[in-house]
Amino acid sequence: MTARRMLGLGYLAPYIAGLLVFTMVPFLASLYLSFTDYNLMSAPVWTGLQNYIDLFTSDRTFRRSLTVTLIYVFTTVPLKLAFALFIAYILNYRLRGINFFRTAFYVPSILGGSIAIAVLWRYIFATDGLVNMGLTAMGFEAVNWFGDPGNALFTITLLRCWQFGSAMVIFLAALQSIDKSLYEAAAIDGASKLHSFIFITIPLLTPVIFFNLIMQMVQAFQEFNGPYIITGGGPLKSTYLLPLYIYDEAFKRFDMGYASAIAWVLFVIIMVLTLVAFWSSKKWVFYAGDKRS
Amino acid sequence: MKTLMTTAALAAMMTTSAASAADLRMSWWGGESRHVATQEALKICGEKHGHTIAPEFTGFDGYLEKLTTQMAGGTEADIVQVNWPWLPLFSKDGNGFADLNGLSDVIDLTQLTEEQRAAVTVDGKLNGLPLSTSGRVFFFNLTTLEEAGVAVPTTWDEFFAAAEALRAAKGDEYTLFNAVKETAQLLVTLAVVQKTGKDLVDPATNRVAWTAEELAAGIAHYGKMVETKAIRSMQEDAAAGNVNLYEKPEWAEGKIAGSYEWDSTYSKYAKPLNEGQNLQAVAHLRFDDAVVDGIYAKPSMFFAVSANAKDPKAAAQIVNCLLNEAEGIDALGDTRGLPASAIAAKRLTDAGAINPNVAAANAIVMAASGPTISPFNEHPEVRGIFIDTLEEYAYGMISADEAAEVIIDGANKVLRGFDPS
Repeated sequence: MTARRMLGLGYLAPYIAGLLVFTMVPFLASLYLSFTDYNLMSAPVWTGLQNYIDLFTSDRTFRRSLTVTLIYVFTTVPLKLAFALFIAYILNYRLRGINFFRTAFYVPSILGGSIAIAVLWRYIFATDGLVNMGLTAMGFEAVNWFGDPGNALFTITLLRCWQFGSAMVIFLAALQSIDKSLYEAAAIDGASKLHSFIFITIPLLTPVIFFNLIMQMVQAFQEFNGPYIITGGGPLKSTYLLPLYIYDEAFKRFDMGYASAIAWVLFVIIMVLTLVAFWSSKKWVFYAGDKRS
Repeated sequence: MKTLMTTAALAAMMTTSAASAADLRMSWWGGESRHVATQEALKICGEKHGHTIAPEFTGFDGYLEKLTTQMAGGTEADIVQVNWPWLPLFSKDGNGFADLNGLSDVIDLTQLTEEQRAAVTVDGKLNGLPLSTSGRVFFFNLTTLEEAGVAVPTTWDEFFAAAEALRAAKGDEYTLFNAVKETAQLLVTLAVVQKTGKDLVDPATNRVAWTAEELAAGIAHYGKMVETKAIRSMQEDAAAGNVNLYEKPEWAEGKIAGSYEWDSTYSKYAKPLNEGQNLQAVAHLRFDDAVVDGIYAKPSMFFAVSANAKDPKAAAQIVNCLLNEAEGIDALGDTRGLPASAIAAKRLTDAGAINPNVAAANAIVMAASGPTISPFNEHPEVRGIFIDTLEEYAYGMISADEAAEVIIDGANKVLRGFDPS
């Protein structure tokens, strides 16, 4: 082995060690534990598929939590991407002070996942919070955002959409890389702004939309802080996302085997949806040099 | 030979040194005042016995999860503060913590009564030392009641009348009492215990002692509190989000005029009140046909020595100092309630170091009657089933009868897992 190759491996070693110790070992351990009854205090007892059978046949909480999680992901991700693209499109214009606005719109995504913002969100949507103050000032009735199971998930969804900054920055970079001559040619041919957006911007952004879709979907499935701090998963489990259920089973009810089984179901759902996205991408994602017409 | 002897002497010195000057860790949960006092006590006791103790402290939220992870990995601190209901979780067979009977030459066990020691003994092994006896008591904001011209209720009938009188005098934004989550659960428990004299779990059968009818009546009692607006509904309460009672502006302003809380938490609920408001613990409200007061009293928490402690004797020395020696007693004060240790209780009472309101609340707990409480009342799964089902009842999804059936079935399922094999 050459010294150069050794050096390369040396640079890679810390990452590979970290990957093995902190990712692969827990990953495989959780797979094993999902087939056991393990309460942390005594050795795991092999129970085969029992945890999975219980999950799908007799666990009402799992069904409720899974439903809530899917609703959350399928509303949050499209909304967030649409909003991020909309803001990125506006911020792509050469306006006075545009750099300030770009920074200002990115800030929520830095703060967004923090506990402090979740606490702030709780105050904004409380009975006498900012949102209800605004509604009553406009003559509407105050809304019970957290106490009504029909509304609570909406507030959590909104918090995630508000953290659109990272997706927006990626959209903005992609928008700036689109050749301006394409728009000029379209304008000469009489295309409106809307036509240019639909037939030039969107197709050229599809690789970035695809990337953001995958990233945001995976993150949304793993959401924990917002519902944990703001509603505690309630009322009536209406914001009880699967990560909260995993946490409660593992660390409040000490059923690490069952929690691992839920985690693996969540992993399989994410993997299947990601594979579906990759499979469908052949039909709607266009890369540079693509020969499709 | 000379070299060998020197080496042996050095090794002996090092061993002696390690035994007499240990590096220990201690973990606990609490608030700011407890953190400050405990660190000071550890410093004093450490200096006295020649050990160093690294403190590991946090709030109550998350402490159980942290301790569980540490216990699973065998990395828990040498001295651990444990909530009493967690004892069956960590020490099902009595081997979860060090047996302090074997360290009685270091710890003065006679400062605790036989009953107090029995509460933390599993299969003949003394798993810890209780710090205090704690119980749920009724706190009322006397200022609000006086302003409304309402007397402190002593029976449940008076309670409902007082709730109506309070709203009539002060307006609809005033409610007499708070009851959400585990407080709601324990108020239902109280109603059933007062009527039946039985705790949730029958120790003889290790199953729920209440019939579905008895529990349904307790749940209906909670329902009556909501219907008469003596408490806010769960929907109204949830509108503020996941917020503790003592953090709510309505509590600080006296618009929620009472709650059913641990006696030792008096300061936590009294401190946030606006200036001039007077919070006081009062004797248990009773039904006219109550069999017992229904006090929900238990050892609040205990200090345990880790089963994995490298130097259990050194850890026991520190525990004894904190609980039974003048330096530790003075430094800790009443930050964990009125001490269970006889010598500590006497010393602090004589010195006037006990907050009179905390002492009064504890006196109510000690004087009231009720069955012995099973730690399974606070088993996370039992509590989860109870609270979730009560919430479904509060949102009108199920009846009191259905809720009672669900709770009893769910609790029995958990209890079956603890049957002797």
